[in-house]
Amino acid sequence: MNYLDLNIEEIHLALVEKKVTCLELVKEALKRAKEDTNNDFEIILEEEAIQKAVELDKKDCPKDNIFYGIPYCAKDNFSTKGYETTASSNILNGYVPLFDATVIKLLNEKNAILIAKTTLDELAMGGTGTSGHKGITFNPYKNDHTTLIGGSSCGSCAAVAASIVPFALGSDTGDSVRKPASYGGLVGFKPTWGLISRFGLFPFAPSLDHVAYFTRSVKDASYALDLLSVHDDNDYTSYRKERNSVLFDENNISTSKKVGILKEVYDSIDDETLKTSFDKLVNKLKEVGYTVDFVSIDKKLLSSIYPAYIVISSAEATSNNANLDGIKFGPYYDGKTYQEVMINARTNGFSSLIKRRFVLGSYALMKENQEEVFKRAQKVRHLIVNRTNEIFNDYDFIIGLAAPSVAKKVGEVSEQLSDKYLIADNYLAIGNFGGFPSITLPLGFKDGLPFGVNLTSKPYSEKQLFEISYKIEEITGLRNLSVNNKKEGL
Amino acid sequence: MKEVNKEVLKDASLRLMFTMEESEYDLLLDEFHTIQTQLGLMSKIEGIDDVTPMTFPFDVSIDYLREDEAKTPLNKEDALKNAKNVKDGQIKLPKVVG
Repeated sequence: MNYLDLNIEEIHLALVEKKVTCLELVKEALKRAKEDTNNDFEIILEEEAIQKAVELDKKDCPKDNIFYGIPYCAKDNFSTKGYETTASSNILNGYVPLFDATVIKLLNEKNAILIAKTTLDELAMGGTGTSGHKGITFNPYKNDHTTLIGGSSCGSCAAVAASIVPFALGSDTGDSVRKPASYGGLVGFKPTWGLISRFGLFPFAPSLDHVAYFTRSVKDASYALDLLSVHDDNDYTSYRKERNSVLFDENNISTSKKVGILKEVYDSIDDETLKTSFDKLVNKLKEVGYTVDFVSIDKKLLSSIYPAYIVISSAEATSNNANLDGIKFGPYYDGKTYQEVMINARTNGFSSLIKRRFVLGSYALMKENQEEVFKRAQKVRHLIVNRTNEIFNDYDFIIGLAAPSVAKKVGEVSEQLSDKYLIADNYLAIGNFGGFPSITLPLGFKDGLPFGVNLTSKPYSEKQLFEISYKIEEITGLRNLSVNNKKEGL
Repeated sequence: MKEVNKEVLKDASLRLMFTMEESEYDLLLDEFHTIQTQLGLMSKIEGIDDVTPMTFPFDVSIDYLREDEAKTPLNKEDALKNAKNVKDGQIKLPKVVG
C-alpha cells in the first residue's frame, strides 16, 4: 500500500504524523501520471509540483488544513496562470491564461499541489471522453484500451480512479462529472448552482454549468465543498447569502428521511445486475431507517430532457464560444479579410462534432425556430424543475442508478430514440436544469467494471446529501475504491 | 420549424464563421432526422405552452451596485501575449479599407 492510495483525510493524517512527506506523495503521483497509458493528461506539471512539495516539506503540515500537500489534477478548462490551457481543443492550442480560476486560487492558497491538467471532450461538449484533441481517454479498470471512462471530465475521472491523485476538478453541465464517476467507481459531486464560483472556468452553457469534482470518499467531497464554497464577486451568479457548514458528524446522522425512486427511470433500465444491486441498496436503506418509495415524473417529460438539454446547451455554447476566433489567442490562420481569418481559424480549430453541435445551436436560435425549438426547450426545463420541486416537497432525496449500464466499449453506440437512452442515460441533467446538488457514489461491479448510484436533493441541502451518501458508503463498503484498491460492493 | 436541408445547414455554419466538408454536412443532415424526432417529443407534452421559458435554475436578482473603484486592467503587454500576429503593439489583421 502506498499513501497515495488513501483518501485525502487519511493522507492528511499521515502528513501530520510525518509518516510520509509532500515530496514523496508528489513524486509517486508524477511517476504514476507519466506511466499512465489511458490518455488522462494535457500537461504534467512536474517541475512546479516538485518545487512546491519541497517548499511545503520545510514546514509541519497544519492539522487544520486538510488540503496541505495533497496532489490534485484539474480539468483543462480551468484557467491556470502561466500554464497552457486548451480545453482539449485545437483552437486554443498555445493559449496561456493570465490568471487563475477562483477554484485553482483557493486550492493554491491551501497549498494543494496541482500535478497535471486533464483531458476532456473538446470544450467540455460531450459525454464520451472521445472528442478531445488528444483522442480517446480510456477506463483504467480495463487495461486493454477497449473501454471508455465517459465524459466530458474524462481525464480527471480516470486519474482519480487509477489512484494517481485522490482529488480532481471537473465541470458538470449535463452530467459530465456524475456520469463518468459511475463508470470509474468514484464519488462525483456537483453542488447547488452558484455555490462554487465559475470564474476562470471556460463557459459552455452558463445556465447549466457547474464546477464539480471527483473524490474517493464522501467525507473528502464534503471537505472540498467546505473549501470551495465561497462568495466570489468575479462571478455574478455566485451565491450572496451566508453559507452553512457542510461538514457532518458521521456518528450523528439522522435516517428519518424520505427517499424517492423515479419509477420511470427504474423501469427504463433493463440490466438485471445493476437493478439487483440497486434493489439491495434500497432494502438496506429501509433497514437502517430511511423511508423509500417510488415517485413519478410524466414519461413524456422525462423523454424530453435530452432534447431540451441539447438545444439549450448548444444554443448557449454558440454564443459563449464566439470569442474563439484565432485573433486574440489560439493559432492564427491567414486570410484576405478579417472574416476569412476567423473562418479559417474556426474551420481548422474545431472538430467536426463541435461544429455540428454549434450548427444545432444556431438552428435553434434562428428566428423561425425560436418559439418551437429554443423557447420550448426552456419550457420543458421549467416543467421538469417544477415537478422535481414538487417531489422535494414530500421527499428529501431522489435516488436512481447513475447510468443504465457499466462503461461502454469503444465504438459502442446507443439507440438514441430508446427510453433507456432518452430517460435513464440522460436524466441526471435534472440536476443542472434546477441547479440541484447531486452526487454519484460507487455501488457495485459487473464484468470487472464499476457502476454507481446517484442522489439529488433540494438546493442548499448539501450537508444532508453528504450524510445519506456516507450511510450508503457504509452499506456498499466502497469507500476509497480505485484500481489499486478493488472491492466488490453490492 | 424551418425545413432542414443542406443549404440551411451551410447558412447556419457560415453564420457561426466556419465551414464543413460536404461529407460532414451529409452526416449532420442525417443526424438532424433523429434530432427532429427528439425535438418532436417536446411538443407532445401537455401544457407545454402554459409555462414561461426558464433561463436560469433560480431567479438571479442583482440588487447591489459595486463600488466605483479604479482597478488596473490587463496591461498592453499581457493583453497581446496570446495573440499570434502582433505588430507595433497591436494585433495585425488584413486591411478593412483600401
